[in-house]
Amino acid sequence: MTRIIDTITGKIAAQDPLHGKRLLKNLAVHDARYFALAEIFFRKYEAILRQEGKDIDYAIDCYLRMVEDVQAETIEFARSGRYTSSTFEEVNQRVYGRPETMQYYMHGLILSQFLWRHHYEMFDYYSTMLPRYTGGVLDYLEVGVGHGFYLSHACDALRPEASLTAVDISETSIALSRKFAGEGRIDYRLQDIFTFEAGKKYDLIVLGEVLEHVEQPLALLLRLRELLADEGVLFFTTPANAPAIDHLYLFRNVEEIRQLAESAGFRIGSEKVLPAEDVSWEMVEQMRIAVLYGAFLTKQREKHG
Amino acid sequence: MDKETILETVNSVFVEVLENQSIVLTRGTTAADIAEWDSLTHIQLVVAIEKKFGVRFTSREIQGWKNIGQLVDTLSTKLV
Repeated sequence: MTRIIDTITGKIAAQDPLHGKRLLKNLAVHDARYFALAEIFFRKYEAILRQEGKDIDYAIDCYLRMVEDVQAETIEFARSGRYTSSTFEEVNQRVYGRPETMQYYMHGLILSQFLWRHHYEMFDYYSTMLPRYTGGVLDYLEVGVGHGFYLSHACDALRPEASLTAVDISETSIALSRKFAGEGRIDYRLQDIFTFEAGKKYDLIVLGEVLEHVEQPLALLLRLRELLADEGVLFFTTPANAPAIDHLYLFRNVEEIRQLAESAGFRIGSEKVLPAEDVSWEMVEQMRIAVLYGAFLTKQREKHG
Repeated sequence: MDKETILETVNSVFVEVLENQSIVLTRGTTAADIAEWDSLTHIQLVVAIEKKFGVRFTSREIQGWKNIGQLVDTLSTKLV
């Protein structure tokens, strides 16, 4: 039986040979676990698409539109050294306020979860590390759920008595996450985290690729620190030098991200740094290639009490 | 600048950016013909060509090229 990932990459390569080369190079390095997970993921996604009267070709079209956007933003970033948007309002007008753009962007991101090596490897890191932190977790909070893949994994990984809360300002994200992660014990909130009234502290908070979407990432981390239990853990990811139509806060290197986490009163327990391209670190720095950073954080008690 | 000269200059940019002296471009050359030409090096090539010719491409132009000939044609219209 043909693997669905091969069908998807083949179709993408036929329409965008340059990008196809990169994807085929990515596939060559993955192991059996990757292909097994990718198959489960894409079969589940195909079923969701069918419920909406769509098919995988629709998702591929969405992905190619997203890739075109990223390419245009990357060229502009190479020219100017800046992201094209710097305020939430600009991004709101270009992306969040346009349901059609949100739709193709979100479906494109779903495919990237397994097509982009750094996206998959960050998930691999997170899911491998997670059991160290889930033992005592009863209250889980995810902020910015995207398409719901991490949320879905948390449902499987946490104890049955744990409760999960998912907060996002995007209706599209909440709707997709409901399909990906199901309803069950997840409390979905279409809300801004700054106005979200928790009424409790959380043992584990996940913030996947959100900081680059806000004007004041420090304020967001401080807010999450308030919501985190004293012994709790925050897992977050964010990229440096990663132009996209909805990225507005530019981290110029990984050190800036580490410093931000520490400024917000966190201690870095474990971390992962993943360049988006398979090139030397020297090339990554010289060409300002996107780097995805992820870390498990705990509260620094000595400084912030 | 005539199209033959543009092609030669584009060839020199490819040789430099892709660090491959053996590259010989023709109007029909595509990404399938050059191993090092992928989505990452494409960005470097676009920016280097812009710099070399003192022009700026639109996203539509960049996404429309199917081969080197079409890239040369775009440059030709910009260099009139």
